[in-house]
Amino acid sequence: MGLPRLLKAPLGAASVVALMTSSVFAQDLTMWVRESAADPGQLMVDLWNSTHDAQIELTAIPDNQLVTKLATSVRAGEAPDLISFDLIYMPDFMRAGFLTDLTDQLQSDPNYETHIQAYKDIATYEDRIYGVGFTPDVSILVWNKELFREAGLDPEDPPETIYEIHEMATQIGALDDDTYGFYFAGSCPGCNIFVTSPIMVAGGAEILPRNGEDAALEGEAIHEVLDQYRQMWEEGLIPESAEVDAGENFVSAFTTGNIGITGSGGFLLSLMERQFPDFDYGVTLLPGLEPGQVSGFVGGDVVAIPEGSPNEETAREFVSWVLSDEAQLEGLAKNSILTTRTDLADNEYFQGNEKVQATAQALEAGYVPWVFHFATMVNSDSSPWINMIQRAVFDGEVESAIEDARARMLEIASQ
Amino acid sequence: MLATNNRLVGFLYLTPALLFVAVFVFYPLSQLIYISMTSESLLGGGQFVWFDNYIQAFTDRDFWRSFWFTVQYTVIITPILIGLGFLLALLVAENRPLVQFTRGVIFLPVVIGLASSSLLWVWLFDQQVGLLNKLLVDIGALDAPMVWFNRAHLGLFAVIVSVVWKIVGFGMIIMLAGMQTIGQDIVEASMIDGASYWQRVRRIIVPLSSRSILLATLISAIGSMLAFDQFYLMTGGAPRGQTFTSVYWIYQNSFVYFKLGYGSALSIILMVVIMCGAALQIAIQRRGEAQ
Amino acid sequence: MTDIVSAPDVTTGGIVEARQVGETGARRYLVGAICIFMITIMLTPLVLSFLASVKTPEAASAVPPTYFPNALSLENYLTVATYQAGLWTYVSNSLIVAFLTIALCLGLAVPAGYALARYRIPFKELFFLLLLASMMIPYQAMLTPLYLLFSELRLTNNHLGLAIIHTILQLPFSVYLMRNSFEGIPKELEEAAVMDGCSSLQILRRVFLPLVLPGMVTVALFAFIMSWNEFIAALVFMSRETSFTVPVMLTGVSTGIFGVVDWGALQAGVIVSIIPCVLIYILLQRYYVSGLLSGAVK
Repeated sequence: MGLPRLLKAPLGAASVVALMTSSVFAQDLTMWVRESAADPGQLMVDLWNSTHDAQIELTAIPDNQLVTKLATSVRAGEAPDLISFDLIYMPDFMRAGFLTDLTDQLQSDPNYETHIQAYKDIATYEDRIYGVGFTPDVSILVWNKELFREAGLDPEDPPETIYEIHEMATQIGALDDDTYGFYFAGSCPGCNIFVTSPIMVAGGAEILPRNGEDAALEGEAIHEVLDQYRQMWEEGLIPESAEVDAGENFVSAFTTGNIGITGSGGFLLSLMERQFPDFDYGVTLLPGLEPGQVSGFVGGDVVAIPEGSPNEETAREFVSWVLSDEAQLEGLAKNSILTTRTDLADNEYFQGNEKVQATAQALEAGYVPWVFHFATMVNSDSSPWINMIQRAVFDGEVESAIEDARARMLEIASQ
Repeated sequence: MLATNNRLVGFLYLTPALLFVAVFVFYPLSQLIYISMTSESLLGGGQFVWFDNYIQAFTDRDFWRSFWFTVQYTVIITPILIGLGFLLALLVAENRPLVQFTRGVIFLPVVIGLASSSLLWVWLFDQQVGLLNKLLVDIGALDAPMVWFNRAHLGLFAVIVSVVWKIVGFGMIIMLAGMQTIGQDIVEASMIDGASYWQRVRRIIVPLSSRSILLATLISAIGSMLAFDQFYLMTGGAPRGQTFTSVYWIYQNSFVYFKLGYGSALSIILMVVIMCGAALQIAIQRRGEAQ
Repeated sequence: MTDIVSAPDVTTGGIVEARQVGETGARRYLVGAICIFMITIMLTPLVLSFLASVKTPEAASAVPPTYFPNALSLENYLTVATYQAGLWTYVSNSLIVAFLTIALCLGLAVPAGYALARYRIPFKELFFLLLLASMMIPYQAMLTPLYLLFSELRLTNNHLGLAIIHTILQLPFSVYLMRNSFEGIPKELEEAAVMDGCSSLQILRRVFLPLVLPGMVTVALFAFIMSWNEFIAALVFMSRETSFTVPVMLTGVSTGIFGVVDWGALQAGVIVSIIPCVLIYILLQRYYVSGLLSGAVK
């Protein structure tokens, strides 16, 4: 506990003054978090509050309202002191000048050096840094060991390529009518950028364009992955309900126990621990086209300070604290949440827990797309991304689906 | 001379309201037209782009899908509201206590917020905890509780059920009032002719309350074309964005995708459609007033 | 509640009498049966929601659900009461906005209605149409320019700001209704007051206001119910959790984590949001229905 405080020395007198003033005026900070990241966010804030004078009051905002409320409140000069939001909106907000520049503070912070690269990337715009990873998540591949055994597969030997996923899914699907080899949420754009795009990226593909001239949906892996999905759909290896799943069953499809293999996220681990402690499953990195190719989509929330925060000094201190040993180990790792520093991935809490360790590897190997207009390109219900998947998998028009989506993505990116 | 002949005083009384409308209706309206020709973003920035947004709007499949979905919703729900409202108006036209009580109860949900009623119904329709699902299973109409919001037509159906429950009383009251203005003598004359109840309804009540029927139809249709709350809270646009209404899509573009300029252009297109309907409504009201 | 919706405008008309004359007893029973059927359909959702709100939280989220609570509990209401900034914050936000809306609507519509009904003003018809114009312009389409204007005027996250939006929405109806109310007052009363040497303002206050009071109550009533229930503008204009109104707060309760919604708390919130409207409706129904009809039909 003493060490992280020492490490904050570069902040010097300013933070001491800030600390004093904050206790004198008992100035509470306000912080927003999107509803779906409220649980880990609350754990972190509680820890901060128990060791600091300046208290943070955390408010959960429904996911679909958070970016609107952030944008409107910054424009009105009434933003909260801190905000935790889906990292994917970082580029839009950085370009708009909505966030406080944290470059000097973070560059002189030794803890920042070991920060997961994907978070560094997403929070940097024109060489300036505007935030750090807060409550991380990453996509992984999970498989049902029980079904693997029943199908005569080695339960400790997960698929290493998309083709192996297909082969193993075929064997599991043959077990009986109610058992399926594979699952993906067919109407959920966010779920698929999370678990399907990394398979393409691992296979060498580029997905989202940064501007109108950038590569969009380039690489054979796009076609190969969609084609394998299509074949599995045709062969009945994926339940029919997948076509209309807008994310409702993204998690529960696997936990019911009749799905062999599916993409998921690190959040699944703590959920399983709590609700299905006896469920026998394995965790590995999302594969590509050839053995050894792996990736993951780095997700979760970043924390940043909106422009005009009335308690900027204390808020800055919180950002530095997020990277401290105390926050990383006692706030995140202790609660089975991944750390955002590579040097702490191997810690006492994760010891002997293969699943968490696999997830931590995924976080280091993972990617995050740095693009503007992510919402229109990917997240909206009628985005080119989800349209491509649906047309390719459910309608079988793989080639034209990719081409149309590419054209629309470039059109959006050039705006 | 009456004080009321003093034009200046009269104008002074009118000024606050006129100023209010000038500042908060006409000025923003002019701004809306201007913004619709820019690429203004909620995140700041943007430039004048002439009619680019409109050109884009006319080829935006998602906007037109949301527009036709809204039209579809309007075309389905309006006859239900008017037809059912009319039958209910006939039902509750008597002044027996039980009938009056019924009148009050049917009208009750009209005063409840659309957001509240939507959140009530989204719960009733829920697959797991929804009591409507349970009821349908208990009476044998369904084999198992079903998911209502993952197919566009089922989601639309659920929304229509909830909205009809909420506002059928509105049309009922307006048409009831229309019926009450029909002269007693006309009705009596027809009874002497030996007309049956339903003949009277068809030959006398429907034609003579046609103005209030038309008015209720227009108010319902305009309200339906502007639907937002019920879809935002019940379907959230799912699945595949098939249940976005026009206003929802405008909201989505303006405040979720930050495209204020484009959203404004869509607003103007929608507004032109609505204004035609509203002009008709005012014309009918004023004609009624003149009579 | 028997006199509900038998406001002055809805007096028993010809059809009713006529139907009763030719009616058989069987027909009366049929009408009664349909009435009871309708009452059941209309009240069931509200009753179920209320019953869910007084279940224990576990029972309210139980799968499969039950119609009736097996034990009564106020825990759901406590959850809502302490939700984020606290229910009272949201209720008082909603109330303040609603009362400001009432004040604005009356403050603008009473003088305007008076002038339109009683004064000879050039271009009066034009002014009247201008005041009704916002009826033709859907406010849902005007959110962007209003939002930009209000963020410059510092009126976002502000009770007055939202009340102004609600007034935009409600003003045409209010002006229309007040004009009709003033028109309904006989000229002779005014002439007598002028003879007594009253000024214009005095006439308005002493002669007219008592007579248009029912109209004013109706204006206030509609302003309240609209403002209390309005959703989309509150969603856009109130971005801080401390300035949310009740409907915006409810959307927060209705989204859970990974679809885990606290259904009992949600229904408790729904009930809380419904109560003021239902109470006002039961107490002031005559004004409500007559207002609705004079706004829409006359």
